[in-house]
Amino acid sequence: MDPFLSKMIKVLPYLVIFTGVAALIFWIGYNPTRNFLPSEPGRDGFTEAGAIDENIIIGEQFEQFSTTQPAFREVWPRFRGSNSDNIYTSDIPLINSFNNQVPEILWEVEMGEGHAGAAIYEGLVYVLDYDEELRADMLRCFALDTGEEIWRRWYDVQIRRNHGMSRTVPAVTEDYILTIGPRGHVMCLDRETGDFLWGLDLEAEYNTEVPLWYTGQCPIIENGVAILAPGGDALMIGVDCATGNVIWETPNPGEWEMSHSSIMPFEFGGRKMYVYSASGGVAGIAADGQDAGKILWQTSQWNQPVIAASPVLMPDGKIFLTAGYGAGSMLLQLTENNGGFDLEVLKTFRPGEGMSSEQQTPILADGYMFGVLPKDARTLRNQMVCVRPEDPTEIVWSSGPTARFGLGPFILADGKFYLLDDDATLVIIQKSTTGYVELDRVKLFDGHDAWGPLAIADGFMVLRDADRMVCIDIRRN
Amino acid sequence: MSKRIDRRNFIRGCARYSLGFGLAGLVGFTLKDTTSDEWVWQIDPFKCTSCGRCATHCVLNPSAVKCVHAYSLCGYCDLCGGYLKPGHISRDTAAENQLCPTAAIERKFIEEPYYEYKIIEDLCIGCAKCVEGCSAFGNGSLHLQIRHNLCVNCNECAIARVCPSDAISRVPASLPYKIKGGFEPGSVS
Repeated sequence: MDPFLSKMIKVLPYLVIFTGVAALIFWIGYNPTRNFLPSEPGRDGFTEAGAIDENIIIGEQFEQFSTTQPAFREVWPRFRGSNSDNIYTSDIPLINSFNNQVPEILWEVEMGEGHAGAAIYEGLVYVLDYDEELRADMLRCFALDTGEEIWRRWYDVQIRRNHGMSRTVPAVTEDYILTIGPRGHVMCLDRETGDFLWGLDLEAEYNTEVPLWYTGQCPIIENGVAILAPGGDALMIGVDCATGNVIWETPNPGEWEMSHSSIMPFEFGGRKMYVYSASGGVAGIAADGQDAGKILWQTSQWNQPVIAASPVLMPDGKIFLTAGYGAGSMLLQLTENNGGFDLEVLKTFRPGEGMSSEQQTPILADGYMFGVLPKDARTLRNQMVCVRPEDPTEIVWSSGPTARFGLGPFILADGKFYLLDDDATLVIIQKSTTGYVELDRVKLFDGHDAWGPLAIADGFMVLRDADRMVCIDIRRN
Repeated sequence: MSKRIDRRNFIRGCARYSLGFGLAGLVGFTLKDTTSDEWVWQIDPFKCTSCGRCATHCVLNPSAVKCVHAYSLCGYCDLCGGYLKPGHISRDTAAENQLCPTAAIERKFIEEPYYEYKIIEDLCIGCAKCVEGCSAFGNGSLHLQIRHNLCVNCNECAIARVCPSDAISRVPASLPYKIKGGFEPGSVS
């Protein structure tokens, strides 16, 4: 045999063993995922912003421009009106169509970017604006028919743009005006004079966690008591409007947080209560009696991170809850039980399976519920629908693929829905329980993100897009 | 007497000519793609329903369809429907909160409360989960496009055949993309 070949035959096993061992060591040592980065919190480089150095003096500044007192009688005194149902009740007939004309804009005022709607009280329009130049929460009072600014009261507070800044509607009574600013600053004023009565910083006093897109909760006043839901250290509080003294506080053992939803007054089973859909759960709080402020019932089965719509409360104790961002809806049944309350979840469903809403609260009327579905409602996305409240998955009618709407508000008035689309197109829809009947539509102006709640009083409608508030006369001649 | 070229100058000259020819070739190749009468496949993002078939029906694996981001439309939201799963535990970069199955979206903090979202195209499989989330909860800035550096331009696009909304069609190679953000639905870019 060739000596070289003979040598190779001797060496070959060692070579094979060596190669095998080397391969094994490489295989053991090689990590194909060595360049992978774990997807763990903090990869986005988020750094907590330092506290803003500011001294907020609520209600500090005031300026009076006029003493005009318009001669009107009707009120739209808070978010969703006097009865919290978003229904304008008046004997004033309202337009059914625009007669091929764009309604005259009676007045228009520039606003800081936001979605705060107006409250109207006997000819005076109140809106909590954010003045971007002064960097201040500013309560502005206008004359309903002319838009003349009568007075303004403000306080400096730093707000960063976040898909709008202002987004709450004041609560107005004969005596008081109550506001909550984007960062939870509560201000109570004398209605007639605009004099400052008291202020409350919910973040400082109650450790309120201001929601993602700032405070959306619209305050209410019941019998001279300001009702607020701070979350944090107290789920709900009642504050005497005259003195600013806290009358009652509801404990918050579940550490629920403030949502964008608003408190809804409710009377059921012989009790007056306030229903609030917080981030963490929904609860009914005693509104009067010795136990005012006590939790009458609660459940954390409805726990959504972002809730904008308020609970829809029905006379038979059903409570409809809805939220956007894929959450869908829930229907609860409240029953009175020997002075207490039992709660049952009747239905839970996803968007597209029934009534749901990302932003606006559905309206209950004539035993039916009306609303606009969100973008994730599949084939029914962005359509207006009418459902049976006892089963909100039973859709009576929908507006169809040619009539889709955005996140804008709608109100029921004189047997018609007035719906404002994102781009400031105003649509008049017949209130019907048999089908969608669009009466007319018109683009009022070149708007965007027209999401602020509508307000109507004395036949004047006050509406807004992200940057301006306008008033139109919708009285039918 | 002829001038003698030394080695250094010879190499330098070669490199210069190579670069020149390369650039000219690249320009020519690009011009060819944009001026020829050829046709390419295109997705209309306004018709797309984010069904997910772009990821599963392309002859390439991963698909030549990728998500692109129209920054001019983006809200730079903290709560981004295209990045975070519905029902996410917290709004951060933890894997369990991310909607994208391949972590192809990079989230970067800009300033309170804004975040930038960038598509890592090599990781994107064109599944459209982010597109669906962005369209449902946001401004629809995330959308799909056929990337022509990857697409093999089949005579019959396998995705177009199954697209439920007829969002894929042949267009002149000079107008290969239909990007959101710069025009109204229905117009041609």
